[in-house]
This record gives sequence, structure tokens and C-alpha cells, in this order.
Amino acid sequence: MTSTLAPLVVDNLSFRYRDRQGAAIHNLSFTANPGEVLLIAGASGCGKTTLVRCINGLIPRSYKGEMSGKILVFGEEVKDWKLSQISQKIGTVLQDPERQILGTKVVNEVAFGLENLGMPREEIYSRVDEALNFLKIPHLRNRETFNLSGGEKQKVALAGVLAMRPSIVLLDEPLASLDPASAQDTLDAVRLLADQGLSILMVEHRVEDVMRIKPERVMFMSDGEIRYLGELSGLSKVVNYREVKLPAEDIVERAKLDPPPVEIKVLPGVTSSEIKQDALVRFEDVAFGYESGVEILHGIDLQINRGDVIAVLGPNGAGKTTFVKHAIGLLKPKSGKVLVGGRDTNEASVAEIASMLGYVFQSPSHMLFAPTVREELAFGPTNMKHTKTQIELEVKEALKIVNLVEKENDPPLALSFGQQKRVSIAAILAMRSRILVMDEPTAGQDYQNYMNFMDSILQMPAFEAIIFITHDVDLAAIYANRVLIISDGRLIADGKPQDVLRDFDRLKANRIIPTSLLALNLKRLSATGRFMRAEALAHI
Amino acid sequence: MLVAWRYRERKNSFIQSFDPRAWVIFYLCCFVSTLSFWDVRFLLPFLVIAIFVLLTSGVKWHEIRRAFLFIVIFIFFFSILTFLTGRGGSEVYKQEHLIREFRASFSILGWTPVLKVTVERAFFAVSQLVRYASVAVMTILVPYSLNPALYGITFKGLGLPDKFAYAMDLTMRFIPTFGRDFQLTMDAQRARGYELEKIDGGLIAQVRKLGPIVVPVTIHAIIGSEDIIDAMDLRAFGVGPRTWLDVLTYTTRDRILIAVGAAILTVSIVLGFMGFGKFWVPEVLLGMF
Repeated sequence: MTSTLAPLVVDNLSFRYRDRQGAAIHNLSFTANPGEVLLIAGASGCGKTTLVRCINGLIPRSYKGEMSGKILVFGEEVKDWKLSQISQKIGTVLQDPERQILGTKVVNEVAFGLENLGMPREEIYSRVDEALNFLKIPHLRNRETFNLSGGEKQKVALAGVLAMRPSIVLLDEPLASLDPASAQDTLDAVRLLADQGLSILMVEHRVEDVMRIKPERVMFMSDGEIRYLGELSGLSKVVNYREVKLPAEDIVERAKLDPPPVEIKVLPGVTSSEIKQDALVRFEDVAFGYESGVEILHGIDLQINRGDVIAVLGPNGAGKTTFVKHAIGLLKPKSGKVLVGGRDTNEASVAEIASMLGYVFQSPSHMLFAPTVREELAFGPTNMKHTKTQIELEVKEALKIVNLVEKENDPPLALSFGQQKRVSIAAILAMRSRILVMDEPTAGQDYQNYMNFMDSILQMPAFEAIIFITHDVDLAAIYANRVLIISDGRLIADGKPQDVLRDFDRLKANRIIPTSLLALNLKRLSATGRFMRAEALAHI
Repeated sequence: MLVAWRYRERKNSFIQSFDPRAWVIFYLCCFVSTLSFWDVRFLLPFLVIAIFVLLTSGVKWHEIRRAFLFIVIFIFFFSILTFLTGRGGSEVYKQEHLIREFRASFSILGWTPVLKVTVERAFFAVSQLVRYASVAVMTILVPYSLNPALYGITFKGLGLPDKFAYAMDLTMRFIPTFGRDFQLTMDAQRARGYELEKIDGGLIAQVRKLGPIVVPVTIHAIIGSEDIIDAMDLRAFGVGPRTWLDVLTYTTRDRILIAVGAAILTVSIVLGFMGFGKFWVPEVLLGMF
């Protein structure tokens, strides 16, 4: 009987969180079919996560509020089901595998749900092996979870869900914390599941990446409503190409009809006459290893000059963060020297280096603490013993540059993620650091937000150079004028984007996946002479 | 949740040759017994057990060096402090036999600092040192020797309910994650010129100045625990009696260890009731002063 019914029907679903005004989602209706990948896209705050929570039962069981409408699983309404019942039909993989893996060993992690259901041990073992074999990861069975790569972790999390034999799998931004090659591995696993007859609902704003596995349908949400639901080919016609990252060719087609984008002026504070060879930062044969004795960086030699916008690419664990931590003096080289403004970092304190380099960490919540934005921004300059009047001026200017003047008295932790990210940049601006260093600046932001964010940072007059670590090849291609590839602790490439990024074999060897925008840029390089964003290519 | 552990499987390790439950029971028996004595003659056997366990644990010196030094300094500091002030011991001895008195050559507001070295104080410091050292040495080995993957089943095996056993398991494993978040925040604030070493002012001012570290770390712990709770709920945690995948089985040697632990504890309690093991000072010394 049940086989003829759709695995999931969402009928006129609305929800409002108890402590918030306005509904997070309104009147959503759709059906998920067996064997299909349904991609759910949309900007931050469009209601994607709320929809996922309604389907997997966390709403209204863990998150309270007003809910109306119906959710039917194989024709049965799930309203009165227990979470344990739902979890056997609907499996959920959360965004960050680090935070959902509970077991110390892979086998324990995959077994967790089955243990909770009180199944006999033999049954658990056979299901664990079945799930691991299915995802082609039986070799990971006895590994410890903390030793896995990002992609492996995500697949282990997926195996933990599959072991419960659900008919529907929800994935909430499963690619967010993965490098491009790991993301591709995860996507291949997802395709495999759908091909075996499962219904897959995948929330993801890296639409272009997901397109590789040809999702059967796409749902585009905005303001808690469904704006588009249909085949993939129709998506680029209905959505704004600035809101969702589409393949470069589609953007070019669409952007031809719009006026050409305004060219951004990169690092306007640096005039071309200033770009001299006097290095702001110099690495001289730097090597580094932790106490355990394993060397993480070897023989790094380079200099950072005025006007450089440097993208640092490379696989996870290659030493990218260790490299930038040397520039800001948080780590000191084991051999060799790092000179910041001509001074050896071994002789300068981190506070002294901060006036030269400001480091923005991946997650703003690792640094925000003050009761108001103003106090947050005054923290750095106060530590650096600037005078009161100086600090007041620095804070005011920083707020103006990041466009948060009206939030001056708000608590930073109550701001949206994007605003928090801007506060963390302003905190660096207020210290008058000359070089901005960012670790994964786009993490946790949707496409439109992070493009606007990057545009505004590059146009800030205060910085003389910018360095950012990223997994996003397009970000490197569009914004950087110099690209470094770090792999196994070595600097294996350093040059202009068009020189470094043209060698696809080298990129792939370093777990960097070429994108449609990169390919298009290389194709048109003879006409353009440099890399550009797709909107600009449309007018050439 | 995912951080490297101090635990390794070690060759020929005495601790690791036992079922973790048997080991925890033995450890608790020794712990309680040690704390029931003040007599250094009764305490010394426990120190001998602790040193034996340490030397046969298979833990390498370089792994344990930092933690070990910290504890040694800590114990010495407190023993010396009690010795100097004479406080702490006064509950276990009434009378003091003076060896020597040191009187300061100055006085502060009419009070002249005096250090009285008495037989009781000296022996109390020694007893305290032995007592703490035996407990600390045994405790410090736990994270290096017990497999974190078995924490849950160990607690369950000791009779705790499922939810509680798993909660203990998670808590134990949460501590290193907390350490990692702390390091990240510390780095982020140092990059903004914050120097923990330079914190000064009164107690309240000092606590306030820890805000830049404490607030982000706490917020992260809360956000992190919400995700963990969701992840557990979504996989049916706590709906009924759970199966623990790993199975622990007692062997004869485990039973012997438990029996030895229980015997030690029983004897200690009985001796205690009979009035043995109280603070002791050699008669010979008392006669000399």
C-alpha cells in the first residue's frame, strides 16, 4: 500500500518561532518523490533550516512556536509521532559534521542511532557494515573519528543516518565546511542514495556544486515562501543571479540584458606609485613544527607587498592557517625568520604586530564579547595604548566604513551573522592595522552576502594589502591579484591568478576543483587579459 | 567533539590489562581508603601502589611531563603552605612539640611573624604529601590509560542509568573540545593586543578583564551543545533502554583486582573504626623535644 504513496508530502505548512515576530515559513506545499534529489536553495534567513526542522520533527518538539499545516510521511501525518519514530523514516545530516559526530570510533558513531533504539547487537553490526559498504567506506570502520578528513566525516555522519534505514534523507548545507574535493565526494554519495530509491532533500547554497550531480528538481525559497519549484534548467530563468550562484555561462546569458557591473576599485588607499618592492612582511626560509616534532611548514620564502590581494588555496590540513599565524606572530618559526615591517616576529609581541596585521578569524563568535559594538571596537586600540581621543576617532571611522553606525550601541552578539562578521573587520580597522588577514571570509554566509562583503572590504581605503585563506576558487579568481597554493606545508605556487589557476592538473592534485567561471575566464583570457566576474564577462 | 586524546593503547601496560570497570572500582577503593588515613605508615603502601601503577602503565615520561610537574608543584606548594601556617593540621593533633622557633627581626603594626617548627607540623606535612601524591598519581593516569570510546559502557557497567552514563561519557569528551575553543579565542584576542599575562587590578577588576576570553568560550559551548542535543535527538537518544555496542567482560584477573580493591577498602574502614590510622608521630621524636 505504502509504496504507492509519496514518501513526503508537505501541505500548507507555516511556522512562527515562539520568541520571534512574523512567520519563518508560510504556506509551503510540495511533495518529495522516491529516487530524486530535491535541491532547496535560497539566501540566509529564507526559511530553509526551519523547513528542515519541521520535517525532521525538531519543530515543534525541540523548538517551540505556532505551527499549522500538515506533514505526511507515506500518507501518515507525523504530528503525533515520537522523534524516534520519525528518525527511522527521515534521517538528517546537519551542517557541521564536527558537531554531530558523537562516537570516538567510526563504528560507534554509525551505530549510535541503532543503539538508542535498543536493537540487538548482531543486527546493529550488520546494519553498520551495510551502511559503510553502501557509501564505499568500509575501510574507515575502525578508524577514530577525529582523524578523518572533512569529506570522510560527512560520509560517516551520513552512514550513521543511513544505518537507521530512512526513506527520506535531509541534508542541511552538508558542503559548508568541506574543501571542494571533499564536497564532491559527499555529493557523489548523495547521488548514489537517490539512485537507490531514497528521497533526498538537500539544502545548499552552493548551487553550482550541486548541479554536478544533476538534482531532479530545485526549490528556491525567499522570505519563507517557495518562489520556484521545478526542473533545474528553469532555475536560472527565475532567480536573481546575484542571489544564487549559477554556472558562469548562465550568468553571462542573463547579465547581458543588464547594465555592466560597476568596476570595483581594489585597495583604493594604495596608489600605483606606492607599490614598491619594500616588503610589508617577509618570510625567510621559515619552517615550523609543534612539540610533537612533525614539521608542518617547510622552507617558506616570500614577501607580501603593498597592493597585494593574496588568496591562499590548498587542501585542509596543508598548513594554510599555520602559515598566516606566523605572519601575525601567533606562532614563531622553528627556523628561519618572519619580518613584519622589518622587525623579527621573535622580538615583537603580538600586540606590536597587530598594528601591522589584523587577523579576522573564521567565526566571529570566537572573538566578540563586549556589551556594545563600540566597546568591542575600542578593545584592540585600548590594548595598544592609543589615547582616548584617538580611540574615539578610530571607532567612529571603522563603524562608518563597515556601515554599522546605527548599531554602535547594540550588543554585537545580538547582530546577524553577516553584521557580526563586519564588526570583526571593524575591530581590525579600529586598530589601524595595515594588512587585513582573513581565514575563510565567506564561511557561513550566503552567496549574495559574501560577494557584497568581499566587494566592500576590497574597496576599503584603510588597507595596504589583504590576505585571505579560501576553498573557493572563484573568490581567488575574482578578487585576488596573487594566488598562493600551499600543500603539505610547502609553497608550491605563487603568482598571478591567471598563471597559477590555469594548471588544472596541479589544482586537482591539491584538492582544488576548477569551476565553470574559471574555465570561462581562461577561455576568454586573450580578450580580457585578466580574470573577471561572470557579470563583467557578459559585456566583453 | 573531535579532538585528539591522550589515550593510546600501550604495550604491556598493567592498567590496560584490566577491564576498565574493574580498574575504576579498584581506583575508587584506593582513593577512599587513602583519604581515611592520616598515619604515614598506613599511607605509604598506597603511595607504593600508585608508583607501581605509574611505572607499569606504559605511559612515556614526555607525554605526562607537563601534567606531572604541575601536580608535583601544586602538592608541594600546599604542603609547604600548611607547614608554614600550621593550619589544617590542628584538627588532627592537639599538642605540639616545638623543635625550633624562628622569630622575625621586624614587626608589622605590632605583630611579629613567628615560624614555629614543631614535630607535629613537620609530620603532618609529610603525611599530607604522601596522601595527595598517591591519589594524584593514580588519577593523572586515567585519561592516558582508559579508552574514551569505553567511558559510556564503563559507567553503565558500574550501574549508572543509560542517560547518565552517556552524559558522563559526553562530558568527559567535551573537555578537550572546550580546550580547543579556548585556544582559538585566546589567539583571536591576542591578535587584538590582549595579553592575559598583564592582567592586574583587584579581584573584581581581574575577573572583568577575563571577559574577552570567558564570554566567547561560553557562547561557543552553548551553541555547540545545542547542535549536539539536536544530533542526539534526531537519532532517537533517550527513547528507551539502549544497546551498548561494546561489550565488557570480566576475566578472572579483573575479579581478583576487584576483590583486592574491596579487601583494601574493608580493611581500611575496619581499621578506621578500630581507631587505627589516625595522625601519628614517632614516639622517639616526641621524646627528643
